[in-house]
Amino acid sequence: MKEFLVQAIVAFNDFVLIYFLSLNAIYLLLFVLSLYEVLKFIKRTFFSDYQQILQSDMTWPISILVPAHNEERNIVETVRSLQLVNYGEFEIIVINDDSTDRTLKNLIEAFDLRRVDRVYKRSLETKPIRGIYGSLTQQHIVVIDKERGGKSDALNAGVNLSRYPLFCSVDADSIIEDNALLRVVKPFMEHPTEMVAVGGIVRIANGCEVHEGRVSKINLPTTWLPILQVIEYLRAFLTGRIGWSVMRSLLIISGAFGLYKKSEVIEVGGYDSESDTEDLELVVRLHENCRRKKMKYRIVFVPDPVCWTEVPATFQTLRRQRNRWHRGLLQSLWRHKGMFLNPRYGIIGMFTFPYFVVFEMFGPFVELTGYVTIPLAWWLGILNTRFLVLFFVLAVLCGVFLSVAAILLEEISFRRYPRWIDLAKLVVFGIMENFFYRQVLSLFKVKAFFDFLRRRRGWGDMKRRGFERRAPA
Amino acid sequence: MTTPQWLVGNGQIHDLVFWLIGAVGSVFLLLVIIIIVSKAWREYVEEGLRRRRVELEPSFFKYVVGQGPIENYLPRPLARKERVLVEDIFFDLGRIVKGSVRERARDAFEKLGFIEHYLEKLESRRWWTRAEAAEKLGLMGSERATRSLITHMDDQVPEVRVRAARALGTIRTSEALRPLTRALLDPGRWSAIRVAGILIGAGDESVEILLQEFHALPMHAKIAAIDIFGRIRSLKAISLLRELLASPDPDIRARAAFALGSIGDPTSASYLTESLKDKNWAVRAMAAKALGRLKEEESIDALCASLVDPQWWVRANAAEALKNKGTRGVGALLAMLDSKDVYAAQQAVQMLQESGLLDEMISRLASEDGEQRQNALDIMAKLVKLKRTDLLTEMAHTHPESNIRQRLAIILGLRPHPRQTA
Repeated sequence: MKEFLVQAIVAFNDFVLIYFLSLNAIYLLLFVLSLYEVLKFIKRTFFSDYQQILQSDMTWPISILVPAHNEERNIVETVRSLQLVNYGEFEIIVINDDSTDRTLKNLIEAFDLRRVDRVYKRSLETKPIRGIYGSLTQQHIVVIDKERGGKSDALNAGVNLSRYPLFCSVDADSIIEDNALLRVVKPFMEHPTEMVAVGGIVRIANGCEVHEGRVSKINLPTTWLPILQVIEYLRAFLTGRIGWSVMRSLLIISGAFGLYKKSEVIEVGGYDSESDTEDLELVVRLHENCRRKKMKYRIVFVPDPVCWTEVPATFQTLRRQRNRWHRGLLQSLWRHKGMFLNPRYGIIGMFTFPYFVVFEMFGPFVELTGYVTIPLAWWLGILNTRFLVLFFVLAVLCGVFLSVAAILLEEISFRRYPRWIDLAKLVVFGIMENFFYRQVLSLFKVKAFFDFLRRRRGWGDMKRRGFERRAPA
Repeated sequence: MTTPQWLVGNGQIHDLVFWLIGAVGSVFLLLVIIIIVSKAWREYVEEGLRRRRVELEPSFFKYVVGQGPIENYLPRPLARKERVLVEDIFFDLGRIVKGSVRERARDAFEKLGFIEHYLEKLESRRWWTRAEAAEKLGLMGSERATRSLITHMDDQVPEVRVRAARALGTIRTSEALRPLTRALLDPGRWSAIRVAGILIGAGDESVEILLQEFHALPMHAKIAAIDIFGRIRSLKAISLLRELLASPDPDIRARAAFALGSIGDPTSASYLTESLKDKNWAVRAMAAKALGRLKEEESIDALCASLVDPQWWVRANAAEALKNKGTRGVGALLAMLDSKDVYAAQQAVQMLQESGLLDEMISRLASEDGEQRQNALDIMAKLVKLKRTDLLTEMAHTHPESNIRQRLAIILGLRPHPRQTA
C-alpha cells in the first residue's frame, strides 16, 4: 500500500510539474499577446475619431438593456448615468424582473413613467410581461415589468422590445463611462459585416466616488477583499481577455457590459435561461453558430470602454458569485462538449476549449490535491522540504508575475490609478493574494464543481452596498 | 522502494526550478522597475512641460495678437523637446483666440521649422509617424504640405490615407479638395464614415465634386456620397437622389430615400410615396421615415396604406411619420383604430400615446363640450376593443382629476356604472 502511495505521489508530482509549466506557458503567451495588442492600441488611440462616430448618421443606433432584480439602491443612478453617455441615437430599456423591493417604483418616480401600450415582435420566448412603462418627456427610456424568469429571460424580453440592430447589456449595479458606447461600437464601424459581439473592460467601483451617475473620483477600495478583486480583474481583462481576443477565441464577454448584433443573438435563440452564466453561454453559442455556418466573424474585446461595477465585499457574497461563475463555466463546457478537440471549430475547439477544460475546470482540483499530497509525502518520508519550498516560491513568483504584468499594462496604457500609493498597494496585494485568497477561490471552485454535478442552480442572494455617493458641494 | 532522485536530491528538476525562479524573479523585478521608472519619468516630464508652459504661454499669446515675427516674442531659444508643448499651446490658442490666430500660428510653425520637420516625418517608414505627421500638418494648416499630403492619399496604410485626407480637408485649398473624393474609394465603412466627415466639413464645394464624379464611384463610395448629400442637406443633390430612387441596388435606393428626407424638400414627397411601394422592405421603411421629415400632407394616404405593410419597420416608420404630420396625420392615425389589421391599429395606438394625443383625449372626458366628450369616449371604446388599455388603466388610478378617474374606471369596467348601482 505504502509502495503504491509513493508511486502515486511521484506520478502526481510529475504531472503537476508538467501541468504547472504548461499553464504558465499559456499565461506567458497571453501576456505577450496582450502586451503587443496594448502597445498597438496605444498607437491607435491617437487616431480614435470618436467625435466622428458621435456625429455620423452612419453610426449604428444602440438599445441599452438593463436587467434589474431588487436593485432599488442603484437603479436610478445607473439609468441617469446611461442617459448621460455620449452617443447619437440610443434607447434605454430597463427590465424589472419581478423585484420585490422599490426598483420599479423608484424608476417610475424618477423618470415620470406611466403604463403604455407598446407593439413589439416576440422573437424570443420569455415569461409574461406585466406591463411596459414609458415617458412622454423621455421617450428613449422604456421599463418592462415582467414575471420572474432570471437575468437571461429579462435580457431576452429586452431584446424583443429593442428597436435597434445592436444591443448593449449593462448590469443594473454598473456605471458606464461617457464615451464607453462610442468606444465599444467602433469595432462594429470598422468591420460591420463580420463583427458579432464586443466586450469592454469592467473595473471595480468599490471605494470610488459617484456623483450624478458618474464615477467622479477613482480610488482603490478601502477593504482588502475588493482590492484583491481589483488585481484579479486587471489580470483577467488586461492579460487574459485581450490575449484571447487576439487569438480570436474570446469565450467570455462580461454580462456587465457587452455589445451584440441583435440578429445574430436572435438566431442562436437569445440568452439561455438554463445557464447560470448567460453571458458566457451566449458567446460560446455565437462562436458555435458562426463556425458552423462557416462565416467570417469576429468577437472581440476592447480595453478602453469602461464599465464600473460593485464587487462583493464579503466572503459569503464572493463565494456565491464565484460558485455561480464556475458552475456556469462547467455547464457551458458540458453543453458544448462537441466542440472539444473538434477541428471544425478551429482554434476554439482545438485550443481554447481544451484550455478551459484542463486548466479552468480541473485546475482547482490539481491545486488542492497538491496541497493534500504535502502532508502525505511527509508521512511517507519522501517529502523534500527544500524542493517544496523552491516549488512554492516558483508558484508564488509566477502568480505575482502575472499580477504585476497586468499592473504594468494598466500603467502604460490607461493609468486609472494615478497615485503612487495605489500603485504600491496593487503590487503588494498582487503578492499577498497568492497566500490565502487564491487557495480560497480554488476551494469555491471545487465546491462549485460538486454543485454542478448535483445540478444546483441559481444566483443566491448577492448583497450590494450601493455606490459611494459624493455629498453635493 | 526507491524514491526518485528529484524528490530527495539535487537532480535536473531542481536545477530547472532554480533556473525558473531566477528567471521569473528577474522578470518580476524588471517589471516592477519598469513600472516605477515609467511612472516617475512620466511625472517628471509632465511637471517639466507644465512649468515651461507657464513660462512660454504668455509670450505666444502676445505673438498671436501682435505683428512681428515669432523670434521677437520668445523669451529664449526653444529646445527641440519643446516642440510638442509649442504645438499644444498654439492649437489651444486657436480654440480660445479667434481671428487671424490660424495664420499667425501657421507662420510661427513655418519659422520654427515645424512644417519642415513634419514633412520629413511624412516620409517615415513607420506608418503611425506618417499618420501623426499628416494630422499635425493639417492642424498647422500648411498649404505648403498640400502636395505631399495628396501623394499620401495613395499611402499603403489606410490610417495614413484618412489622416492625409483629413489634413487636406482642414487646409481646404482648391487643389486639396478634389483628391479627397478619392479617399472615398477606400474600402470599408469606417474609412467612409471618416472621409464623409471631412467632406461634410468642406460643405457645398465637396457636393459639386461628388456630383461630378458620382457615377464613376464604386458602390460603397456611392453610399457614402449619398449620406454626405443628406447630411450637408444640399439642394443641388436633389435631382440625383430622386434618380437614385430607381437604382437597381436596394441599398442605394434606401439611402437615397433617407437623404431626401434629411434634406427636407417637400417636392420630393411624390417620389418617396412611390418608394413606399418598393419591393424591398428597407427601401419602403426609409421612404416612410423620410416622408415623416417632410412638411407636406400629400403622402398621408400612402402612409396610412403602409400601416398594413407586411414588414414591422415599415409599419412603425409609417406610424411615426403620420404622428409628425400634424392634425391630418393624427386624424389618419385615429382612423386606423378601426382598421381590420389589428397590428396597424395597435401601432396607431402606440403613436397616439407617444405623441401625447391620448392624454389630450383623456382630459376631454371631462370636457363641457358634449361633442368633444363623445369623441373622446368613442376613442376610448376603440382602445378597449383593441385591448390596448394599459395607459387607460394607469390613468384610471393616477389621473389628478377625480371625475376623469371615475369615467375611465367605468369605461374599463373597473367599477360598476353609477346607473347600474342605482
